[in-house]
Amino acid sequence: MIGDAVERSLRSPQVLISVSELFSNAAGSRMPDVQPDLLTDEVARRVVAACPTSALKVDEAAGRTHLILNYGECIACSRCVAAGNGAFRYAERVARCGVRKKALIRRWDIQRRAEVVQDEPALSQAAEQIRSLVGRALNIRQVDAGSCNGCAGEILALTNPYYDLERFGIHFVASPKHADMLLVTGPVTRNMAAALKLAYDAVPSPKLVVAVGACGCSGGIFAGSHAVVGPVDAVIPVDGYIPGCPPTPSMLLTGIAHVLRPLLLPSRRRTA
Amino acid sequence: MNVTLPNSETGISQALDLLRAPNARLVSIFGSTGDHHERYVHYLIDVNSREYRMFSSVVTGPIPSATPISPAAAWYERELHDQYGIECVGHPDPRPLLFHENWPENVHPMIDDVTHVPWAEGQYQFLKVQGAGVCEVPVGPIHAGIIEPGHFRFSVVGDTVLHLELRHFYTHKGTEKLFEGTPVIDGVMIAESVSGDNCFSHAVAYCQAIESAFGISVPPRAQALRLIGLELERMIAHIADVGAMCGDVGFNVPAAYTARIKETLLRASTRFFGTRFWRGMAVPGGVTRDFSSADTGEFGRMVAAAAGDFAEMARLILHTSSVQNRFESTGILTAEIARQTGVVGPVARASGIRLDVRCDHPSGRYRDINVDVPLYKYGDVLARARIRIDETAISMRLIHETLKQLPAGSVLVSVPLSENAEAWSAVESPRGELLYWVRIRDGKIARCHIKSPSFQNWPALPVAMPGNIIADFPLINKSFNLSYSGSDR
Ligand code: SF4
Ligand code: SF4
Repeated sequence: MIGDAVERSLRSPQVLISVSELFSNAAGSRMPDVQPDLLTDEVARRVVAACPTSALKVDEAAGRTHLILNYGECIACSRCVAAGNGAFRYAERVARCGVRKKALIRRWDIQRRAEVVQDEPALSQAAEQIRSLVGRALNIRQVDAGSCNGCAGEILALTNPYYDLERFGIHFVASPKHADMLLVTGPVTRNMAAALKLAYDAVPSPKLVVAVGACGCSGGIFAGSHAVVGPVDAVIPVDGYIPGCPPTPSMLLTGIAHVLRPLLLPSRRRTA
Repeated sequence: MNVTLPNSETGISQALDLLRAPNARLVSIFGSTGDHHERYVHYLIDVNSREYRMFSSVVTGPIPSATPISPAAAWYERELHDQYGIECVGHPDPRPLLFHENWPENVHPMIDDVTHVPWAEGQYQFLKVQGAGVCEVPVGPIHAGIIEPGHFRFSVVGDTVLHLELRHFYTHKGTEKLFEGTPVIDGVMIAESVSGDNCFSHAVAYCQAIESAFGISVPPRAQALRLIGLELERMIAHIADVGAMCGDVGFNVPAAYTARIKETLLRASTRFFGTRFWRGMAVPGGVTRDFSSADTGEFGRMVAAAAGDFAEMARLILHTSSVQNRFESTGILTAEIARQTGVVGPVARASGIRLDVRCDHPSGRYRDINVDVPLYKYGDVLARARIRIDETAISMRLIHETLKQLPAGSVLVSVPLSENAEAWSAVESPRGELLYWVRIRDGKIARCHIKSPSFQNWPALPVAMPGNIIADFPLINKSFNLSYSGSDR
C-alpha cells in the first residue's frame, strides 16, 4: 500500500550530504591534479604522450617550459595518473568548475616546479545581471545537445536525497521559458544544433548558459566528428564551464554555485 | 559459438534464406570497406540461441532487402544505406535514418570524404494518419524531464493513441567512424562514451572483441571483476528504472527512495574503485584496478544491503493498488511482435522470449556459472517491472558468489599492438544483447560496428502504443528504458 512505502522511506536514516562536504569535492571524478614538486621534464614528456586528447601540452614560451592542463579537454581517462610517477594524482578537490573558458586552463613552470597563477577572468555580463535578479532561487532547464547520457545522468542525480539540489532554491523546470539557466550537456550534434538554438532563444533575458562535461566544454572525445558541430559555445554564448567526463554531482553543484558565487557559496553567503 | 562463413557472392541469399527459418534471429546487418575500398555487407544471425553465424558478401550494386522477411532488419538497412550508400531493394521505408535534413543526400560518411559537409535543408515527412477527429501531437526533441533528446509524433483520437512514429538520431555522433584509425588500446574510451549509463558493458564488449581477435585469454581474476562490474551496472540500471516507472505514475516516494539506493551503489564504487561508473576499469587484456580481500567483504555487504533494501521497497511497490492499476495491461508487446522486431534484453524476457547472452553466448566468467533467467509472458509494463526486480536479486547473488570465490592472481595481461584480425564479442548489458564487431589493421581499428540493444528495441516501442492513452506514454517508454545515445551513436 502507499502508506507502507511512505513509512519505510520515513524510517530510513538521512543521507543528505553537508554543504561543506559537497562543495569542490571531486571524489570519483578521476580528474587529475598535479603535484608541482614532483614535476620534471621527463614526467611532462610522458604524460603529454600518454594523453589521448590535447588536454596536456608543453609550452616553451620565453625560455621557460610550461606544462599546460586544459580541464575542458580532459576526458578523465587517468592515463596521466598512471604515467606521471606520482606527479599526477586524482584530484580530491576541484576549483575549476563553473568558470570562464580561460580559467579551465592551468599551467605549471616545470623548472620552478610551481603553478603559474593567473587572474580569473571576469564574469559575463549576464552572470552579473542574474546575480542581482534571482535572489536565492534559480530555475534550470537542462538541454541534452548530444551527450552519451553520462552527464545527463549525473545532473539527474543532483535531485536524489544525497544532494537534494532543491535545498539551495535551485529547481529543474520543464520549459526553457521558465528558466534562468540552460545547463547544456554533450557535444552539439549536427542534428541538435537547431533545437539548441531554439531553446536558447526561448529563455527570457538575462539568461545564463553553462556547458557541462568534456563534450560540452570542448567536444571531448567526439571533437572533430563529422556528425558533431562542436562544443556548446560553437552554437550559443556560454557563461560558465563545468569539466569532467562526467562531472560528479558535487562538481556540477560547485560549478552552478561558482557562476552565482555571491549567492550560493557558503563562505560568501552573507556578503550577497 | 561464433562461426564466420567465407565471404561469398551467395552470402546475401544464404543469410536471407536462413532468416526465414523459425530458429534464426537477426542480430545485426552492417557494412564495411575492404583493403581495396570494396564495400561489404555483413549479416550476423543467431541460430537456435546458441551460435552466431556471420555471412558476408561484396556489394557492387543494390541488394535485396531483408526487411520483408524479418522486420528486425528495418533500421539496420536504413543505416547501411546512410553509411555506405548501399541500397536495399524492396525496403518498405527507405527514408534516411541517421541524418536529418541538414545532411546532403548522397554523402555517405563511411565511404566519402566528410571533412566539410555542406548544410542542406528539407522537410521530414511523417506518416499522416487521416480521418475525423485525428490530431497530431509532436513531442521533443527536447523533453520536459532530464533525459536525452528524441522526437515522438503521436496521432490521437481524444486520449487514445492510434499511431506513434519515432524520429531519433538527434544524438548521432558518428561514433562508428570515430573508431577508424584509433589504436586498439584507445578504442575502449570511445566505447565507454557510447551510452554513459551502460559504459562498463560497452567497455567489456569492446575489450572482449579485441581479446578474441588476438586470441588472448584474460586472467580469471579479471574475468571475475568484470562480472562484478557488469552485474553491478545491471543492478543500478534496474533499480533506477523501477524507481523512474514509479515516478511516472506519480508515486514519488519510492522514486526518490530507489534513486537513493542507486546513489549508495555509485558511492560504493567510488570508495573501492575510485570511479562511479567503472569508467577506465576495463582495458584490452583485463582490468586496471583490483581490490584487497578486506575490501571484498565490505563491498559485498554494501551491495547486499542495497539489494535487500530494494527488494523490500519493490515488494511494497508491487502491492500498491494504484501501481498495479497503472502498470497492468499497459503497453503490451506481444510475443509475436517481440519476435518479429527482434527485441532483446528485459523487454524480450517480459514478452516471454528467453534470450540472455549470459546463457546463450557466454564469455569470460559466465562460461563457468549458471545464470537464472526470469521470464514473464504478459509483455506489459508490469512484466517489465517484474523482470527488473527479479534480475536485480539475481545479479546481487552473482556478485556475492563471485566475491566468495574470487580467483587469485593478476588482473591484466599485455596485448599485441600490431596485427591484423577480425572478431566480435557480445555481452548482456542491462538493456540486452550488446555486440562489438572489430576489424584491426596494423594495431588500429579499421572498422568497429556496435549492435546496440536500444537500436534493436526502439522500433518495437511504437507497436506497443496504439490503444493506450497518451498519458501512459512516459510510463511505457520508461518501462522499455532505451538509450538514445546508445541507439543513435
Ligand atoms: S586524465 Fe585528462 S589530462 Fe590525463 S591523460 Fe586523460 S585526458 Fe589527458
Ligand atoms: S563528457 Fe563524457 S560523460 Fe559527458 S557526455 Fe561527453 S562522453 Fe558522456
